[in-house]
Amino acid sequence: MSAKKTILIIDDEPDTLTYFSSLLEDNGYATVTAENGAQALERVKEARPDLVTLDISMPETSGVRCYRELREHEEWRAIPIIIVTGISEDFRTFISSRKHVPPPDGYLSKPIDEPEFLAMVTRLLAKPVR
Amino acid sequence: MDPSCQQYFDAIPCYLTVQDRDFRILRANRRFREAFGAHEGRFCYQVYKQRAEKCEVCPVERSFGDGEGHRSEERVTCLDGREVSVIVYTEPIRDEQGHIVSVMEMSTDITDIKKLEAQLRRSQARYRTLFEEVPCYISIQDRDLNIIDANRLHREAFGTFLGCKCFEVYKHRSEECYPCSVRQTFDDGEMRVHEEVVTSRQGRMMNVLVHTTPIVGPSGIDAVMEMSADITAVRELQSQLASIGLLISSISHGLKGLLNGLNGGMYLVNKGLASGDQARVVKGWDIVQRNVERIRAMVLEILYYAKDREPDWKPLVASAVIDDVLQQMADRAREAGIACTADVDPGAGEFEGDEMAIRALLINLCENSLDACRLDRKKPSHTVTLRAHGDEGHVRFVIEDNGVGMERETREKAFSLFFSSKGSEGTGLGLFVSNKIAKAHGGSIDIASEVDVGTRFTVTLPRVRLAPATDRQVLQTATRTRTSPDTVPGTGSPG
Repeated sequence: MSAKKTILIIDDEPDTLTYFSSLLEDNGYATVTAENGAQALERVKEARPDLVTLDISMPETSGVRCYRELREHEEWRAIPIIIVTGISEDFRTFISSRKHVPPPDGYLSKPIDEPEFLAMVTRLLAKPVR
Repeated sequence: MDPSCQQYFDAIPCYLTVQDRDFRILRANRRFREAFGAHEGRFCYQVYKQRAEKCEVCPVERSFGDGEGHRSEERVTCLDGREVSVIVYTEPIRDEQGHIVSVMEMSTDITDIKKLEAQLRRSQARYRTLFEEVPCYISIQDRDLNIIDANRLHREAFGTFLGCKCFEVYKHRSEECYPCSVRQTFDDGEMRVHEEVVTSRQGRMMNVLVHTTPIVGPSGIDAVMEMSADITAVRELQSQLASIGLLISSISHGLKGLLNGLNGGMYLVNKGLASGDQARVVKGWDIVQRNVERIRAMVLEILYYAKDREPDWKPLVASAVIDDVLQQMADRAREAGIACTADVDPGAGEFEGDEMAIRALLINLCENSLDACRLDRKKPSHTVTLRAHGDEGHVRFVIEDNGVGMERETREKAFSLFFSSKGSEGTGLGLFVSNKIAKAHGGSIDIASEVDVGTRFTVTLPRVRLAPATDRQVLQTATRTRTSPDTVPGTGSPG
């Protein structure tokens, strides 16, 4: 039996961390959580996750900066990232239009649609590593 | 007179006469005769002005007197009753011994010129009225940027400063603005439009839309006219609309996060019920309750933002207010493992205020302190302390925590609309509304904070309610905070 895939959930809202980790663990994944961008980078080093869900609006290191750091790092840039945020759809256009940063692998608005969220996770984890 | 001389005399296109010392007309040309009839034996003043005696000031008399030519302007009446304006030149005629024997008087019809002059004066008066009364500020500047003329509105707003530099008058600057559209218009003769912020002599900041136009004379651009329309009201409206847009965006973002939390709670409750896992049900239900409570608080904040409220003044007891707030905060503090204590000085006593609003103000500050403690990972335990004390004129509420503390920038922007350092949890309304409530009561909130040490909010409120007029001013001041330059909306994180 293969080891569980690990998903890092980054969100400053404790209820969201509880929600996403319960949902993903109920569906056969291991989870680690981080409440801000700085903590997230520590968790990536420790847990080497297979996928990351990332909130954008967070105190201290914002999701945008965290996203850029993950994408620019040699070892981590292949990890699929799903942005899950409550901010406007305009942000999706904005982040996808950045020339020097590749677009996110997935983008979901809060409140999430659970089947859509799980389908996206399954799809991204099934993709061969870039 | 020689016939050829008479021919020239007659052909001259003005009224020409030769008069003796008694102003009797000795000779006259054809044009004179056509206009004024036979002259023989008649006096100048009879013919021209139907007078019985000579005029008080007479250029012919002066030429007889000093032997010089003279000039004057007169109005004369023709045979047909038509009034004619003439410019009169006189020249003495001398005999062989040099004695003045007669004076030649040449009168040129300038009636049309006079009519044009009158039209010009009327037109100038009309344009002056337009210049004075047009509802915008107009000034005329010379090449050295000195104001050489200004209209009434300009004088009322900026004072009478003819000869002063425009940048001194408009902006209280000592140096020329860069770029200067007046100078640019002098350079290329083009009209320009741009927006400026200027300060009236009463100290009012105004947004003005400025048009510069060249005033062209025979030798080029003599001056530049600067017309400024006050668009402050438009800009304020625009700012309020932008604030509403930001508010909607901020509320939308906040609600999405809270709905996500509610979904999470429901997920855990449903899963717990399906699997008989009571602990999961309780955990989920806690999440549901917490998020419902946060939605309720958000709605209250929006209501306070949306309306400028006159405080519902009632006598309040400071210790009772603290007890009430402490009771409301107890559950949240316990859940987060934060000690929440109160310390009320007996001298805190009573004061007048809006009970609901004061409670909302203090709860907002306490929640801010709880969040600051929750975010702090560096201390083993956290405490939020509420204190109340006072003096003769004021009551003071102090909320102190040992949370993360604030950087200077966060502290300075803390009361700005939509500024939040709390990521998705903050709408940027809470402290803005708290400040607004304090100001509406004639009070203030001070922040003392140090990163990694903690924060202390001090709310100072007068014990006695304000007079109604002052209340309104304070409420207006609180409202203006929304658009003042140091609280520009949008300085918060994207949410």
